[in-house]
Amino acid sequence: MTAFLKPVRAGSLRRGKSKGRGKLSAGQPEDAGLSGAAWKDQVLSPDLETNLQQIKTILNNCSDVIYREFVFAQNEQIRLALIYTDGLADKEQIGDQITKALALEVPMAAPGQEITKGRALDFIKQRGLCVNEFQETGKMRDVIRAILSGDSVLLVDGHACAIINGTRGWASRAITDPVAEPTVRGARESFIETLRTNIVLVRRRIKSPSLKIKTLRLGEVTGTDVAVAYIEGIANDKLVAEVMSRLERIKVDGILESGNIEELIEDNPWSPFPTVNHTEKPDRVAAMLLEGRVAILVDGTPFVLTVPNLFVEHLHAPEDYYERFLYTSAIRLVRFTSMAVSLVLPSLYIALTSFHHELLPTPLLLSIAGQREPVPFPVFIAVLIMELVFEALREAGIRLPRPIGVAVSIVGALVLGEAAVRAGLVASSTIIVVAFTGITSFTFAYSASIAFRMLRFTLMVLSAVLGLLGLISGLAVIGIHLCALRSFGVPYLSPIVPTTAVDLKDVIFRVPLWAMFTRPRLIARQEQKRQIPGLKPTPPETRPKR
Amino acid sequence: MLERGKIDSKQAVFLMIALVLPTAVLTVPSVVAKLASQDAWLSVIVATLVGLLIARLVVSLSLRFPGKTLFEYAEEILGRVPGKVVGLLYIWWFLHTNAFILDEFGAFLGITILPDTPFLVFFIAGTFVAAYAVRSGLEVLVRYNQLFLPLILGLLCVIFILSAKDMKVARLLPVLDTGLVPILKGAAVPVSWLGENVTFAMIIPFLNRPKEAYRVAARAVLITGFFLLVSVLVSLAVFGPNLTRAWIFPAYNAVRVVSIANFLERLEAAVVAVWMLGGFAKIGVFYYAAVLGSAQLLGLKNYRPLVAPVGVILVALALLCENTVVLFDFLGRVFPPYALVFELGIPLVLLIVALAGGKGGKKS
Repeated sequence: MTAFLKPVRAGSLRRGKSKGRGKLSAGQPEDAGLSGAAWKDQVLSPDLETNLQQIKTILNNCSDVIYREFVFAQNEQIRLALIYTDGLADKEQIGDQITKALALEVPMAAPGQEITKGRALDFIKQRGLCVNEFQETGKMRDVIRAILSGDSVLLVDGHACAIINGTRGWASRAITDPVAEPTVRGARESFIETLRTNIVLVRRRIKSPSLKIKTLRLGEVTGTDVAVAYIEGIANDKLVAEVMSRLERIKVDGILESGNIEELIEDNPWSPFPTVNHTEKPDRVAAMLLEGRVAILVDGTPFVLTVPNLFVEHLHAPEDYYERFLYTSAIRLVRFTSMAVSLVLPSLYIALTSFHHELLPTPLLLSIAGQREPVPFPVFIAVLIMELVFEALREAGIRLPRPIGVAVSIVGALVLGEAAVRAGLVASSTIIVVAFTGITSFTFAYSASIAFRMLRFTLMVLSAVLGLLGLISGLAVIGIHLCALRSFGVPYLSPIVPTTAVDLKDVIFRVPLWAMFTRPRLIARQEQKRQIPGLKPTPPETRPKR
Repeated sequence: MLERGKIDSKQAVFLMIALVLPTAVLTVPSVVAKLASQDAWLSVIVATLVGLLIARLVVSLSLRFPGKTLFEYAEEILGRVPGKVVGLLYIWWFLHTNAFILDEFGAFLGITILPDTPFLVFFIAGTFVAAYAVRSGLEVLVRYNQLFLPLILGLLCVIFILSAKDMKVARLLPVLDTGLVPILKGAAVPVSWLGENVTFAMIIPFLNRPKEAYRVAARAVLITGFFLLVSVLVSLAVFGPNLTRAWIFPAYNAVRVVSIANFLERLEAAVVAVWMLGGFAKIGVFYYAAVLGSAQLLGLKNYRPLVAPVGVILVALALLCENTVVLFDFLGRVFPPYALVFELGIPLVLLIVALAGGKGGKKS
């Protein structure tokens, strides 16, 4: 079983340590990077003033933190203090459920049982506070973390503990259409930047107690909340453990996007191919979880990571499972062909036109030669320039503000392409090749198409030097690399190689859903069965009688 | 353990096919037709039967020593020093054969697509790709092969079907006109090719179900034999024995004449491309055998440091062959007896000594 779940190689952590960069070493507890490390082990004192003073020292120069001191309604001797961050905590909730409740509306205590300082804490917890969730702590670290996460902290004079009230509520973006993964059919919701909402989006689709969500905090300074979701009994336990261990070894100053995590947990950091998938569609995450994958949700980004990731996933779209299977299979064929074209077409064009004229049918060869006659550049240079132009256009299209983007496409398509051919700088066949390559690279997942874009240039250089030999050698090397890749222990090219016959049902050809009996064998190792047999719809008269 | 990978039976069949077919399918028709004329296809059938025997011999020998490669059990059977000598001989043979494979690789590319390129470039390209696969380990090599071999076999089938238009059965007649001796002589060449399956002895220990090795070997030899047979038949039926003899790669030329509806033509580009992928696999397997064998002979813990030096030796050996004429003369006349020593002679001796000395044995 050693082949499964290979450990990741030592990453940047050890290197950073040996160079003595900062205090980020594995032994220290989290938050080590926060202002000074002295307070992190502090405990609260029974004296309110001391506590407030300490918190104010720690949160020195944090003008967004609000301190509200007031007295308990039933006994003015009992002083209380509420601390929260402006904008992160829901002020309305705090006002209604905490301040108002404690300072004005506290119910009367039972007769003869006057509320003393000693009983105040219990009374507040049991009858005074109206918040939905709270937690008690005696540690300064928890207090600070709570304040900065949007919770409000209630300190009661005379008690060496604080009540953390769940009052998180900040302005966040509304749930909108997915921008990076538009679909014709399927759910239109996409994840947003708030972790809690994202978890809700997943939970709403999987209403099962087996959907487990483990949370942890990554980033010594940013303290980013990260949630690991999986379905118990379907996801492999070893996989979950491996994901957790890869996440837990991360000690960096900040996690700003799930891409930061992706780079730290990949199997092969040098590969051009992504071995961790990401999506912004909750329905896709739910589908992944149902296949036994593990999802990693990160606060602050709508992109959710899913592992293990197979190569073919990048050629599948979410609606492949919503459209009817024949159409899906046909369109997947288009996508797979496009993938091949986007990788090799320019190189093939270079190789054939500059080395192997005899391999082209004569009329085609003559036509290309005729177009190329006034062109001053060798094929390779012409294709390279046009490819670079295309890449530049694409990048410009992404970076530019949207209204100007249209101008770029006009300049790019009309002026550059048309004028270059008219001026005899580039053959029109070259333009066709480059344009077709560009279009094909849009047909499948962006993350994989980036890999193919980079490799395309390498292959172009190889075929310019060695012709078909260079192209095929390059392809063989890419093939070998893909065969060697693994994602969380699962061979990247599976189920194609190593061939898992039953899982070929969902590679190019997708079998109808009523024949999708099992989960991917190499991913969901525990529970394979997906559905009962005999779900194929049949007309009523042919149904067996019960 | 030098190699921790495990391969399943289907992968092993593919690997064994790749061990023989890529170069054989192109070269065998011409070489055999030189000796057996229009009865060359009978030679191939005879050769396949002999190939089955060789495969059986190798598997029987290997299964007596479960989990051990040729190099390890040679020492166990013959004793330390003679065993090492046998190992050394096999390393030489793997390297030398691989050098000829590289030569064929170069000759084919030189003749078909890159006439002006020095062969050294082909050798380096072939060795480099194979070295990358070998360095990545047996599992990767096997998966690479599993990825591309179906493509090669599929393309061969399609092309043979397409060339049916140009075939004339009359060109295969008269049958048995040349007599039995030329057929048997002609069989020697494909036997030496199919016998390259002896390299399987380096792979058997890594099968996840060693018991299926017999079936794996038999299936692989039969599939290989079938494709060789078809390739010979197609060459003969399209060109007749005289032209087949005259071409160096008659099967390739058979593809070149395919032209259907003025549209499906120049298929040779696809053939060359796909064939190269197979060539890398074949070079890779022999390369792997040589590297793993050397590591076992030298008692190393890791074979990866040997990949680069063995590659350099490989390229140098391939350069020794002066030209294509010498190469094919060698392959037709010298290679069969030379190869059969390693493919049949030594394994047979090993098996007899093992049986006589009661060494090894089926513990399962």
